[in-house]
Amino acid sequence: MTTNGAAKAAIAVTIVVGGLAASGGAIAAAGSSRSAALQSNRVAAMVTGRSAVSEMAIYADDRPDVFARAASMRDALGFAKGATRKGRHVADGLQNSTYDEVAEVDAAGQPLSLAQFDGSGRLLAAVRFDAPSRNGSGISGDEAVKTAQRGLTSAGYAPNGRARAQANEAAGGWDVHWDRAQGGFRVRGDELSVHVWQDGRIQSVARVEHELAAAPARTIAQDQARSVVTTRCGSWFQGNDSGFSVQSMELEWVGPNAAFDPAKMDLATEPYRLAWVANVKPSGRAADSLRLVTLYVDAADGSVIGGDVVE
Amino acid sequence: MKRAQVLLVSFLLAVTSLGALAPSVMAYDAAAWTNSDSFTTRCLGFSDSYPSQLNSLARTQLAALGYSPIGGAIGPSFTRTAFLNAVWPDWAVYVHSHGDNYWAASGRPNIDSAFLQDPGSTSCSSFSRDVVRSSAVKAAAWTAPYNLIVMSTCYLGSSSSTMPGAFNVEKVKNSTENEFYLGYVYSTYDSSMLRFEKAFWSYLSGGSRTVSQAFAYASGIGGYSAPDASDPFQANWWGNPNYNGRPG
Repeated sequence: MTTNGAAKAAIAVTIVVGGLAASGGAIAAAGSSRSAALQSNRVAAMVTGRSAVSEMAIYADDRPDVFARAASMRDALGFAKGATRKGRHVADGLQNSTYDEVAEVDAAGQPLSLAQFDGSGRLLAAVRFDAPSRNGSGISGDEAVKTAQRGLTSAGYAPNGRARAQANEAAGGWDVHWDRAQGGFRVRGDELSVHVWQDGRIQSVARVEHELAAAPARTIAQDQARSVVTTRCGSWFQGNDSGFSVQSMELEWVGPNAAFDPAKMDLATEPYRLAWVANVKPSGRAADSLRLVTLYVDAADGSVIGGDVVE
Repeated sequence: MKRAQVLLVSFLLAVTSLGALAPSVMAYDAAAWTNSDSFTTRCLGFSDSYPSQLNSLARTQLAALGYSPIGGAIGPSFTRTAFLNAVWPDWAVYVHSHGDNYWAASGRPNIDSAFLQDPGSTSCSSFSRDVVRSSAVKAAAWTAPYNLIVMSTCYLGSSSSTMPGAFNVEKVKNSTENEFYLGYVYSTYDSSMLRFEKAFWSYLSGGSRTVSQAFAYASGIGGYSAPDASDPFQANWWGNPNYNGRPG
Protein backbone atom coordinates (compact mmCIF):
# COMPACT_ATOMS: atom_id res chain seq x y z
CA MET A 1 0.00 0.00 0.00
CA THR A 2 1.27 3.50 -0.80
CA THR A 3 1.80 6.19 1.82
CA ASN A 4 -1.33 7.80 0.47
CA GLY A 5 -3.12 4.47 0.75
CA ALA A 6 -2.00 4.04 4.35
CA ALA A 7 -3.28 7.51 5.15
CA LYS A 8 -6.60 6.67 3.50
CA ALA A 9 -6.86 3.45 5.52
CA ALA A 10 -6.13 5.41 8.66
CA ILE A 11 -8.84 7.89 7.79
CA ALA A 12 -11.28 5.02 7.47
CA VAL A 13 -10.78 4.64 11.22
CA THR A 14 -10.45 8.33 11.95
CA ILE A 15 -13.83 9.18 10.52
CA VAL A 16 -15.44 6.87 13.02
CA VAL A 17 -13.49 7.78 16.10
CA GLY A 18 -14.07 11.43 15.20
CA GLY A 19 -13.31 13.83 17.99
CA LEU A 20 -11.35 11.24 19.93
CA ALA A 21 -8.64 11.52 17.33
CA ALA A 22 -7.42 14.94 18.43
CA SER A 23 -3.93 13.48 18.91
CA GLY A 24 -3.97 12.43 15.27
CA GLY A 25 -2.93 15.92 14.15
CA ALA A 26 -3.30 17.35 10.71
CA ILE A 27 -4.15 14.14 8.89
CA ALA A 28 -7.00 13.39 11.24
CA ALA A 29 -8.31 16.89 10.76
CA ALA A 30 -8.12 16.47 7.03
CA GLY A 31 -10.05 13.26 7.30
CA SER A 32 -12.76 14.86 9.37
CA SER A 33 -13.19 17.76 7.00
CA ARG A 34 -13.40 15.44 4.02
CA SER A 35 -15.98 13.44 5.85
CA ALA A 36 -17.98 16.56 6.60
CA ALA A 37 -17.82 17.59 2.96
CA LEU A 38 -19.07 14.20 1.95
CA GLN A 39 -21.84 14.35 4.49
CA SER A 40 -23.22 17.48 2.92
CA ASN A 41 -23.47 15.76 -0.43
CA ARG A 42 -24.97 12.61 0.88
CA VAL A 43 -28.41 11.58 -0.25
CA ALA A 44 -30.69 9.05 1.31
CA ALA A 45 -30.70 5.51 -0.03
CA MET A 46 -33.58 5.11 -2.41
CA VAL A 47 -34.09 1.40 -2.20
CA THR A 48 -35.20 -0.26 0.97
CA GLY A 49 -34.04 -3.66 2.03
CA ARG A 50 -30.81 -5.34 1.06
CA SER A 51 -30.04 -7.42 -1.95
CA ALA A 52 -33.58 -8.75 -2.46
CA VAL A 53 -32.00 -12.06 -3.41
CA SER A 54 -33.05 -15.05 -1.36
CA GLU A 55 -31.79 -18.57 -1.80
CA MET A 56 -32.28 -22.04 -0.43
CA ALA A 57 -29.75 -24.86 -0.69
CA ILE A 58 -30.78 -27.79 -2.84
CA TYR A 59 -29.13 -31.20 -2.84
CA ALA A 60 -28.69 -33.98 -5.37
CA ASP A 61 -30.76 -36.34 -3.22
CA ASP A 62 -33.73 -33.98 -3.29
CA ARG A 63 -33.36 -32.59 -6.81
CA PRO A 64 -31.60 -35.25 -8.87
CA ASP A 65 -33.16 -33.79 -12.01
CA VAL A 66 -31.44 -30.43 -11.56
CA PHE A 67 -28.08 -31.99 -10.71
CA ALA A 68 -28.31 -34.38 -13.67
CA ARG A 69 -29.10 -31.54 -16.05
CA ALA A 70 -26.20 -29.52 -14.70
CA ALA A 71 -23.80 -32.44 -15.11
CA SER A 72 -24.93 -32.96 -18.69
CA MET A 73 -24.46 -29.29 -19.43
CA ARG A 74 -21.02 -29.24 -17.81
CA ASP A 75 -19.87 -32.19 -19.87
CA ALA A 76 -21.42 -30.95 -23.11
CA LEU A 77 -19.65 -27.60 -22.80
CA GLY A 78 -16.34 -29.04 -21.63
CA PHE A 79 -16.41 -27.45 -18.19
CA ALA A 80 -14.22 -29.01 -15.49
CA LYS A 81 -15.58 -31.16 -12.69
CA GLY A 82 -15.21 -29.64 -9.26
CA ALA A 83 -14.27 -31.26 -5.97
CA THR A 84 -17.89 -30.80 -4.93
CA ARG A 85 -21.13 -29.43 -6.34
CA LYS A 86 -23.39 -26.91 -4.67
CA GLY A 87 -26.99 -26.33 -5.57
CA ARG A 88 -29.34 -23.50 -4.70
CA HIS A 89 -32.83 -22.38 -5.53
CA VAL A 90 -32.79 -18.62 -5.98
CA ALA A 91 -35.58 -16.07 -5.92
CA ASP A 92 -33.71 -13.17 -7.46
CA GLY A 93 -35.56 -9.93 -6.86
CA LEU A 94 -32.86 -7.96 -8.64
CA GLN A 95 -33.14 -9.89 -11.88
CA ASN A 96 -36.84 -10.60 -11.38
CA SER A 97 -36.11 -14.26 -11.91
CA THR A 98 -36.39 -17.59 -10.12
CA TYR A 99 -33.95 -20.35 -10.96
CA ASP A 100 -32.14 -23.47 -9.83
CA GLU A 101 -28.37 -23.31 -9.95
CA VAL A 102 -25.67 -25.93 -9.62
CA ALA A 103 -22.06 -24.83 -9.28
CA GLU A 104 -18.96 -26.94 -9.64
CA VAL A 105 -16.81 -25.91 -6.70
CA ASP A 106 -13.09 -26.41 -6.15
CA ALA A 107 -11.43 -27.65 -2.97
CA ALA A 108 -11.09 -24.08 -1.72
CA GLY A 109 -14.80 -23.45 -2.08
CA GLN A 110 -14.55 -21.27 -5.16
CA PRO A 111 -16.99 -21.85 -8.02
CA LEU A 112 -15.42 -23.20 -11.20
CA SER A 113 -18.58 -22.94 -13.23
CA LEU A 114 -22.34 -22.78 -12.86
CA ALA A 115 -25.46 -23.78 -14.70
CA GLN A 116 -28.84 -22.14 -14.10
CA PHE A 117 -32.22 -23.54 -15.12
CA ASP A 118 -35.70 -22.11 -15.02
CA GLY A 119 -38.66 -23.76 -13.28
CA SER A 120 -39.35 -25.99 -16.23
CA GLY A 121 -35.77 -27.22 -16.36
CA ARG A 122 -34.69 -25.21 -19.39
CA LEU A 123 -31.25 -23.64 -19.46
CA LEU A 124 -30.88 -19.98 -18.57
CA ALA A 125 -27.12 -19.71 -18.43
CA ALA A 126 -23.95 -21.74 -18.03
CA VAL A 127 -20.70 -19.96 -17.26
CA ARG A 128 -17.18 -21.05 -16.43
CA PHE A 129 -14.99 -18.87 -14.22
CA ASP A 130 -11.45 -19.83 -15.12
CA ALA A 131 -9.37 -18.00 -17.71
CA PRO A 132 -8.61 -18.75 -21.35
CA SER A 133 -5.33 -20.26 -22.36
CA ARG A 134 -2.80 -17.81 -23.78
CA ASN A 135 -1.59 -20.40 -26.28
CA GLY A 136 -2.43 -20.28 -29.94
CA SER A 137 -3.18 -17.47 -32.33
CA GLY A 138 -6.91 -17.47 -31.78
CA ILE A 139 -9.78 -18.93 -33.73
CA SER A 140 -11.67 -17.28 -36.57
CA GLY A 141 -15.27 -16.17 -36.37
CA ASP A 142 -16.35 -19.09 -38.56
CA GLU A 143 -14.56 -21.53 -36.29
CA ALA A 144 -16.19 -19.91 -33.26
CA VAL A 145 -19.63 -20.37 -34.83
CA LYS A 146 -18.92 -24.06 -35.46
CA THR A 147 -17.66 -24.52 -31.92
CA ALA A 148 -20.72 -22.79 -30.49
CA GLN A 149 -23.04 -24.85 -32.68
CA ARG A 150 -21.40 -28.10 -31.58
CA GLY A 151 -21.60 -27.13 -27.92
CA LEU A 152 -25.25 -26.11 -28.09
CA THR A 153 -26.24 -29.22 -30.01
CA SER A 154 -24.39 -31.41 -27.56
CA ALA A 155 -26.21 -29.67 -24.73
CA GLY A 156 -29.59 -30.27 -26.37
CA TYR A 157 -30.19 -26.73 -27.63
CA ALA A 158 -29.46 -26.99 -31.34
CA PRO A 159 -29.73 -23.48 -32.78
CA ASN A 160 -31.79 -22.49 -35.79
CA GLY A 161 -31.14 -19.79 -38.32
CA ARG A 162 -28.11 -17.74 -39.11
CA ALA A 163 -25.50 -17.01 -36.48
CA ARG A 164 -23.93 -13.63 -35.83
CA ALA A 165 -20.32 -13.71 -34.61
CA GLN A 166 -18.86 -10.59 -33.00
CA ALA A 167 -15.30 -10.22 -31.79
CA ASN A 168 -15.16 -9.50 -28.09
CA GLU A 169 -12.63 -6.77 -27.33
CA ALA A 170 -12.92 -7.14 -23.60
CA ALA A 171 -12.80 -10.89 -23.07
CA GLY A 172 -11.14 -11.96 -26.29
CA GLY A 173 -12.65 -14.55 -28.59
CA TRP A 174 -16.11 -14.30 -30.08
CA ASP A 175 -19.70 -13.77 -29.04
CA VAL A 176 -21.91 -15.96 -31.22
CA HIS A 177 -25.63 -15.13 -31.29
CA TRP A 178 -28.68 -16.81 -32.72
CA ASP A 179 -31.49 -14.27 -32.48
CA ARG A 180 -34.94 -15.64 -31.72
CA ALA A 181 -37.65 -14.84 -34.24
CA GLN A 182 -41.38 -15.44 -34.18
CA GLY A 183 -43.59 -15.05 -37.22
CA GLY A 184 -40.65 -13.69 -39.14
CA PHE A 185 -39.88 -10.92 -36.66
CA ARG A 186 -36.98 -10.72 -34.24
CA VAL A 187 -37.74 -10.98 -30.52
CA ARG A 188 -35.70 -8.13 -29.09
CA GLY A 189 -32.97 -9.47 -26.78
CA ASP A 190 -34.10 -13.09 -27.00
CA GLU A 191 -31.37 -15.37 -28.19
CA LEU A 192 -29.14 -18.33 -27.80
CA SER A 193 -25.67 -16.93 -27.27
CA VAL A 194 -22.28 -18.48 -26.75
CA HIS A 195 -19.01 -16.85 -25.84
CA VAL A 196 -16.09 -18.76 -27.33
CA TRP A 197 -12.65 -17.96 -26.03
CA GLN A 198 -9.80 -17.38 -28.45
CA ASP A 199 -8.42 -20.78 -27.42
CA GLY A 200 -11.54 -22.42 -28.87
CA ARG A 201 -13.20 -23.35 -25.58
CA ILE A 202 -16.70 -22.30 -24.67
CA GLN A 203 -16.86 -19.89 -21.73
CA SER A 204 -20.59 -19.32 -21.48
CA VAL A 205 -23.94 -20.20 -22.97
CA ALA A 206 -27.17 -18.28 -22.48
CA ARG A 207 -30.74 -18.86 -23.51
CA VAL A 208 -33.03 -15.85 -23.25
CA GLU A 209 -36.67 -16.33 -24.12
CA HIS A 210 -39.62 -14.18 -23.10
CA GLU A 211 -43.30 -14.93 -23.19
CA LEU A 212 -45.00 -13.48 -26.26
CA ALA A 213 -48.51 -12.12 -26.53
CA ALA A 214 -50.72 -13.27 -29.39
CA ALA A 215 -49.80 -11.73 -32.71
CA PRO A 216 -52.10 -8.83 -33.56
CA ALA A 217 -54.87 -9.54 -36.08
CA ARG A 218 -53.66 -6.57 -38.11
CA THR A 219 -50.72 -4.27 -37.78
CA ILE A 220 -50.47 -0.58 -38.49
CA ALA A 221 -48.40 0.41 -41.50
CA GLN A 222 -44.87 1.69 -41.17
CA ASP A 223 -45.94 5.17 -42.29
CA GLN A 224 -48.53 5.29 -39.54
CA ALA A 225 -45.98 4.19 -36.95
CA ARG A 226 -43.49 6.73 -38.27
CA SER A 227 -46.11 9.41 -37.85
CA VAL A 228 -46.55 8.39 -34.20
CA VAL A 229 -42.78 8.59 -33.69
CA THR A 230 -42.50 11.93 -35.43
CA THR A 231 -45.31 13.42 -33.41
CA ARG A 232 -43.92 12.09 -30.13
CA CYS A 233 -40.35 13.15 -30.81
CA GLY A 234 -41.53 16.51 -32.08
CA SER A 235 -43.25 17.13 -28.77
CA TRP A 236 -40.14 16.04 -26.90
CA PHE A 237 -37.37 17.74 -28.79
CA GLN A 238 -38.58 20.68 -30.82
CA GLY A 239 -39.45 22.77 -27.78
CA ASN A 240 -35.98 22.16 -26.38
CA ASP A 241 -33.75 23.66 -29.07
CA SER A 242 -33.33 20.15 -30.42
CA GLY A 243 -34.17 18.20 -33.50
CA PHE A 244 -34.18 14.57 -34.52
CA SER A 245 -34.05 12.15 -37.40
CA VAL A 246 -35.63 8.73 -37.61
CA GLN A 247 -32.85 6.33 -38.53
CA SER A 248 -34.71 3.05 -38.80
CA MET A 249 -38.11 1.40 -38.30
CA GLU A 250 -38.40 -2.37 -37.89
CA LEU A 251 -41.10 -4.69 -36.64
CA GLU A 252 -39.93 -6.60 -33.57
CA TRP A 253 -41.34 -8.28 -30.51
CA VAL A 254 -40.56 -6.06 -27.51
CA GLY A 255 -41.18 -5.92 -23.79
CA PRO A 256 -43.33 -2.97 -22.72
CA ASN A 257 -41.32 -0.93 -20.21
CA ALA A 258 -41.12 2.27 -18.19
CA ALA A 259 -38.34 3.91 -20.20
CA PHE A 260 -40.31 7.10 -20.79
CA ASP A 261 -42.79 6.80 -17.94
CA PRO A 262 -41.34 6.26 -14.46
CA ALA A 263 -44.87 5.73 -13.13
CA LYS A 264 -44.84 2.32 -14.80
CA MET A 265 -41.68 1.10 -13.07
CA ASP A 266 -43.47 -1.02 -10.50
CA LEU A 267 -45.88 -2.65 -12.89
CA ALA A 268 -45.64 -6.38 -13.46
CA THR A 269 -43.70 -7.61 -16.45
CA GLU A 270 -45.94 -8.06 -19.47
CA PRO A 271 -45.59 -10.49 -22.37
CA TYR A 272 -43.70 -9.15 -25.34
CA ARG A 273 -45.78 -7.47 -28.03
CA LEU A 274 -45.21 -6.89 -31.69
CA ALA A 275 -44.14 -3.29 -32.23
CA TRP A 276 -42.52 -0.94 -34.65
CA VAL A 277 -39.10 -0.20 -33.21
CA ALA A 278 -37.82 3.23 -34.21
CA ASN A 279 -34.26 4.40 -33.69
CA VAL A 280 -34.19 8.17 -33.43
CA LYS A 281 -31.04 10.28 -33.46
CA PRO A 282 -31.39 13.53 -31.51
CA SER A 283 -29.66 16.70 -32.68
CA GLY A 284 -29.12 20.11 -31.14
CA ARG A 285 -29.18 20.44 -27.37
CA ALA A 286 -30.63 16.97 -26.71
CA ALA A 287 -27.63 15.43 -28.47
CA ASP A 288 -25.40 16.68 -25.65
CA SER A 289 -27.15 14.16 -23.40
CA LEU A 290 -28.53 11.50 -25.69
CA ARG A 291 -26.88 9.53 -28.44
CA LEU A 292 -29.97 7.57 -29.44
CA VAL A 293 -33.60 7.12 -28.44
CA THR A 294 -35.49 3.97 -29.36
CA LEU A 295 -39.28 3.95 -29.27
CA TYR A 296 -41.58 0.93 -29.27
CA VAL A 297 -44.83 1.67 -31.10
CA ASP A 298 -47.43 -1.05 -30.56
CA ALA A 299 -48.07 -2.60 -33.96
CA ALA A 300 -51.73 -3.15 -33.15
CA ASP A 301 -52.87 0.20 -31.79
CA GLY A 302 -50.03 2.66 -32.38
CA SER A 303 -49.43 3.47 -28.73
CA VAL A 304 -45.89 4.03 -27.43
CA ILE A 305 -45.31 1.13 -25.04
CA GLY A 306 -41.71 1.78 -24.06
CA GLY A 307 -38.26 2.08 -25.50
CA ASP A 308 -34.65 2.63 -24.63
CA VAL A 309 -31.98 5.31 -24.53
CA VAL A 310 -28.26 5.58 -25.14
CA GLU A 311 -26.91 8.42 -23.01
CA MET B 1 8.81 13.05 2.66
CA LYS B 2 10.54 11.15 5.47
CA ARG B 3 9.10 13.56 8.02
CA ALA B 4 5.69 12.93 6.60
CA GLN B 5 6.21 9.20 6.94
CA VAL B 6 7.27 9.54 10.58
CA LEU B 7 4.22 11.65 11.26
CA LEU B 8 2.11 9.09 9.49
CA VAL B 9 3.52 6.24 11.58
CA SER B 10 2.85 8.22 14.75
CA PHE B 11 -0.59 8.94 13.55
CA LEU B 12 -1.27 5.33 12.69
CA LEU B 13 -0.10 4.25 16.14
CA ALA B 14 -2.45 6.77 17.71
CA VAL B 15 -5.31 5.66 15.53
CA THR B 16 -4.53 2.01 16.21
CA SER B 17 -4.78 2.70 19.91
CA LEU B 18 -8.04 4.51 19.45
CA GLY B 19 -9.20 1.82 17.09
CA ALA B 20 -8.84 -0.70 19.88
CA LEU B 21 -11.64 1.13 21.63
CA ALA B 22 -13.97 0.48 18.73
CA PRO B 23 -12.37 -2.29 16.73
CA SER B 24 -15.46 -3.35 14.86
CA VAL B 25 -16.36 0.05 13.50
CA MET B 26 -14.62 1.13 10.31
CA ALA B 27 -15.74 3.67 7.75
CA TYR B 28 -15.09 2.69 4.17
CA ASP B 29 -16.63 5.47 2.16
CA ALA B 30 -18.25 4.81 -1.15
CA ALA B 31 -20.09 7.16 -3.47
CA ALA B 32 -22.71 6.69 -6.17
CA TRP B 33 -23.00 9.68 -8.50
CA THR B 34 -25.72 9.91 -11.10
CA ASN B 35 -26.45 12.56 -13.67
CA SER B 36 -30.23 12.75 -13.79
CA ASP B 37 -31.10 16.34 -14.77
CA SER B 38 -29.77 15.80 -18.29
CA PHE B 39 -32.42 13.16 -18.74
CA THR B 40 -35.51 14.96 -17.53
CA THR B 41 -38.54 16.35 -19.30
CA ARG B 42 -37.01 19.82 -19.04
CA CYS B 43 -34.05 18.82 -21.22
CA LEU B 44 -35.39 15.96 -23.30
CA GLY B 45 -39.12 16.32 -23.30
CA PHE B 46 -39.46 13.04 -21.45
CA SER B 47 -38.20 11.70 -18.17
CA ASP B 48 -35.69 8.89 -18.53
CA SER B 49 -36.35 6.37 -15.75
CA TYR B 50 -33.06 4.49 -15.94
CA PRO B 51 -30.66 6.83 -14.05
CA SER B 52 -32.60 6.61 -10.78
CA GLN B 53 -32.96 2.83 -11.07
CA LEU B 54 -29.23 2.39 -11.64
CA ASN B 55 -28.30 4.73 -8.80
CA SER B 56 -30.64 3.02 -6.34
CA LEU B 57 -29.25 -0.36 -7.25
CA ALA B 58 -25.63 0.74 -6.85
CA ARG B 59 -26.20 2.42 -3.51
CA THR B 60 -27.97 -0.59 -2.06
CA GLN B 61 -25.42 -3.08 -3.31
CA LEU B 62 -22.37 -1.05 -2.25
CA ALA B 63 -23.86 -0.94 1.23
CA ALA B 64 -24.52 -4.68 1.12
CA LEU B 65 -20.83 -5.23 0.34
CA GLY B 66 -19.92 -3.36 3.51
CA TYR B 67 -19.12 0.13 2.26
CA SER B 68 -20.33 2.84 4.57
CA PRO B 69 -21.25 5.62 4.49
CA ILE B 70 -22.53 5.75 0.92
CA GLY B 71 -22.12 9.29 -0.36
CA GLY B 72 -22.43 10.82 -3.75
CA ALA B 73 -25.56 12.30 -5.22
CA ILE B 74 -28.20 11.94 -7.86
CA GLY B 75 -29.12 15.19 -9.54
CA PRO B 76 -27.85 18.74 -9.04
CA SER B 77 -25.47 17.92 -6.17
CA PHE B 78 -23.42 15.79 -8.58
CA THR B 79 -21.08 18.59 -9.57
CA ARG B 80 -17.49 18.38 -10.72
CA THR B 81 -16.39 20.20 -7.57
CA ALA B 82 -18.38 17.93 -5.27
CA PHE B 83 -17.06 14.84 -7.00
CA LEU B 84 -13.42 15.92 -6.96
CA ASN B 85 -13.63 17.11 -3.36
CA ALA B 86 -15.12 13.83 -2.23
CA VAL B 87 -13.27 11.25 -4.29
CA TRP B 88 -10.08 10.91 -2.30
CA PRO B 89 -11.43 9.14 0.81
CA ASP B 90 -13.73 6.89 -1.18
CA TRP B 91 -12.97 3.19 -1.51
CA ALA B 92 -15.69 2.54 -4.07
CA VAL B 93 -17.02 4.91 -6.72
CA TYR B 94 -20.01 4.48 -9.01
CA VAL B 95 -20.83 6.95 -11.80
CA HIS B 96 -23.78 6.85 -14.16
CA SER B 97 -23.70 9.53 -16.81
CA HIS B 98 -22.74 10.33 -20.37
CA GLY B 99 -19.13 9.24 -20.88
CA ASP B 100 -16.59 9.13 -23.68
CA ASN B 101 -12.91 9.07 -24.53
CA TYR B 102 -12.24 12.66 -25.52
CA TRP B 103 -9.06 14.13 -26.97
CA ALA B 104 -6.77 15.41 -24.29
CA ALA B 105 -5.88 19.08 -24.03
CA SER B 106 -2.56 18.16 -25.64
CA GLY B 107 -4.47 17.01 -28.71
CA ARG B 108 -4.63 13.87 -30.79
CA PRO B 109 -3.78 11.07 -30.36
CA ASN B 110 -3.78 11.57 -26.59
CA ILE B 111 -7.01 10.73 -24.80
CA ASP B 112 -8.38 12.15 -21.57
CA SER B 113 -11.55 10.17 -20.85
CA ALA B 114 -14.40 11.90 -19.09
CA PHE B 115 -17.95 11.77 -17.85
CA LEU B 116 -20.39 14.65 -17.45
CA GLN B 117 -21.52 16.10 -14.15
CA ASP B 118 -25.21 16.74 -13.60
CA PRO B 119 -26.05 20.05 -15.35
CA GLY B 120 -28.19 21.25 -12.45
CA SER B 121 -31.85 21.98 -12.13
CA THR B 122 -31.92 24.95 -14.49
CA SER B 123 -29.53 23.84 -17.26
CA CYS B 124 -29.08 20.98 -19.68
CA SER B 125 -25.85 19.20 -20.48
CA SER B 126 -23.00 21.15 -21.98
CA PHE B 127 -19.75 19.33 -22.62
CA SER B 128 -17.58 22.40 -22.08
CA ARG B 129 -19.20 23.20 -18.76
CA ASP B 130 -19.94 19.74 -17.38
CA VAL B 131 -16.99 17.58 -18.34
CA VAL B 132 -15.14 15.77 -15.54
CA ARG B 133 -11.91 14.55 -17.07
CA SER B 134 -9.87 11.60 -15.91
CA SER B 135 -6.88 13.92 -15.52
CA ALA B 136 -8.83 15.97 -12.98
CA VAL B 137 -9.93 12.81 -11.18
CA LYS B 138 -6.34 11.62 -11.12
CA ALA B 139 -5.18 14.91 -9.62
CA ALA B 140 -7.79 14.58 -6.87
CA ALA B 141 -7.25 10.88 -6.26
CA TRP B 142 -3.46 11.28 -6.19
CA THR B 143 -2.05 7.82 -5.40
CA ALA B 144 -4.94 6.65 -3.23
CA PRO B 145 -6.03 3.05 -3.64
CA TYR B 146 -9.59 2.24 -4.70
CA ASN B 147 -11.40 -1.05 -4.32
CA LEU B 148 -14.32 -0.95 -6.69
CA ILE B 149 -14.93 1.48 -9.52
CA VAL B 150 -18.00 1.21 -11.75
CA MET B 151 -18.28 3.58 -14.70
CA SER B 152 -21.87 3.10 -15.82
CA THR B 153 -21.38 5.13 -18.98
CA CYS B 154 -20.60 4.53 -22.62
CA TYR B 155 -17.01 3.88 -23.71
CA LEU B 156 -15.11 4.12 -20.42
CA GLY B 157 -14.41 0.37 -20.50
CA SER B 158 -12.78 0.51 -23.91
CA SER B 159 -9.09 -0.20 -24.32
CA SER B 160 -8.40 3.49 -24.94
CA SER B 161 -10.07 4.67 -21.73
CA THR B 162 -7.83 6.61 -19.36
CA MET B 163 -10.36 6.48 -16.53
CA PRO B 164 -8.95 3.34 -14.81
CA GLY B 165 -5.61 5.10 -14.33
CA ALA B 166 -7.36 8.04 -12.70
CA PHE B 167 -8.29 5.65 -9.90
CA ASN B 168 -4.84 4.05 -9.92
CA VAL B 169 -6.12 0.84 -11.46
CA GLU B 170 -3.67 -0.55 -13.99
CA LYS B 171 -5.33 -1.94 -17.12
CA VAL B 172 -4.37 -5.54 -16.45
CA LYS B 173 -6.46 -8.54 -15.50
CA ASN B 174 -3.96 -10.03 -13.06
CA SER B 175 -3.51 -7.35 -10.43
CA THR B 176 -2.89 -8.56 -6.88
CA GLU B 177 -4.30 -5.42 -5.24
CA ASN B 178 -7.86 -5.31 -3.95
CA GLU B 179 -9.12 -3.41 -6.97
CA PHE B 180 -11.65 -3.83 -9.74
CA TYR B 181 -12.68 -1.37 -12.45
CA LEU B 182 -15.80 -2.01 -14.55
CA GLY B 183 -16.93 -0.11 -17.62
CA TYR B 184 -18.66 -0.53 -20.96
CA VAL B 185 -16.75 -0.68 -24.22
CA TYR B 186 -19.15 0.83 -26.74
CA SER B 187 -22.26 2.95 -26.97
CA THR B 188 -24.64 1.12 -24.65
CA TYR B 189 -28.37 1.11 -24.07
CA ASP B 190 -29.43 2.00 -20.53
CA SER B 191 -31.59 -1.13 -20.42
CA SER B 192 -28.52 -3.24 -21.11
CA MET B 193 -26.56 -1.48 -18.38
CA LEU B 194 -29.44 -2.14 -15.98
CA ARG B 195 -29.67 -5.81 -16.98
CA PHE B 196 -25.91 -6.23 -16.62
CA GLU B 197 -25.64 -4.41 -13.32
CA LYS B 198 -28.58 -6.29 -11.80
CA ALA B 199 -26.92 -9.59 -12.67
CA PHE B 200 -23.50 -8.36 -11.55
CA TRP B 201 -24.66 -7.14 -8.15
CA SER B 202 -26.93 -10.14 -7.69
CA TYR B 203 -24.16 -12.67 -8.19
CA LEU B 204 -21.70 -10.68 -6.10
CA SER B 205 -24.17 -10.56 -3.22
CA GLY B 206 -24.25 -14.33 -3.02
CA GLY B 207 -21.38 -14.81 -0.60
CA SER B 208 -18.00 -16.28 -1.42
CA ARG B 209 -17.61 -14.90 -4.93
CA THR B 210 -15.11 -12.67 -6.66
CA VAL B 211 -15.97 -9.57 -8.62
CA SER B 212 -14.51 -11.11 -11.76
CA GLN B 213 -16.86 -14.08 -11.34
CA ALA B 214 -19.79 -11.69 -11.00
CA PHE B 215 -18.57 -9.98 -14.15
CA ALA B 216 -18.31 -13.30 -16.02
CA TYR B 217 -21.78 -14.27 -14.88
CA ALA B 218 -23.35 -10.96 -15.90
CA SER B 219 -21.57 -11.09 -19.25
CA GLY B 220 -22.66 -14.67 -19.78
CA ILE B 221 -26.41 -14.36 -19.28
CA GLY B 222 -26.96 -12.79 -22.72
CA GLY B 223 -30.07 -10.94 -23.78
CA TYR B 224 -28.42 -7.55 -24.22
CA SER B 225 -29.83 -5.22 -26.84
CA ALA B 226 -27.38 -3.06 -28.75
CA PRO B 227 -27.91 0.14 -30.75
CA ASP B 228 -26.33 -1.26 -33.90
CA ALA B 229 -23.84 -3.82 -35.19
CA SER B 230 -20.89 -1.50 -34.64
CA ASP B 231 -21.83 -1.04 -30.99
CA PRO B 232 -22.28 -4.56 -29.62
CA PHE B 233 -22.93 -4.86 -25.93
CA GLN B 234 -19.62 -5.47 -24.19
CA ALA B 235 -18.55 -4.75 -20.65
CA ASN B 236 -14.91 -4.82 -19.61
CA TRP B 237 -12.88 -4.95 -16.44
CA TRP B 238 -9.38 -4.52 -15.10
CA GLY B 239 -7.99 -5.38 -11.72
CA ASN B 240 -7.63 -8.40 -9.50
CA PRO B 241 -9.47 -11.56 -10.63
CA ASN B 242 -9.49 -12.87 -7.06
CA TYR B 243 -10.79 -9.78 -5.31
CA ASN B 244 -14.15 -10.22 -3.58
CA GLY B 245 -15.37 -6.62 -3.77
CA ARG B 246 -15.42 -6.08 -0.02
CA PRO B 247 -13.88 -2.87 1.31
CA GLY B 248 -10.34 -2.59 2.56
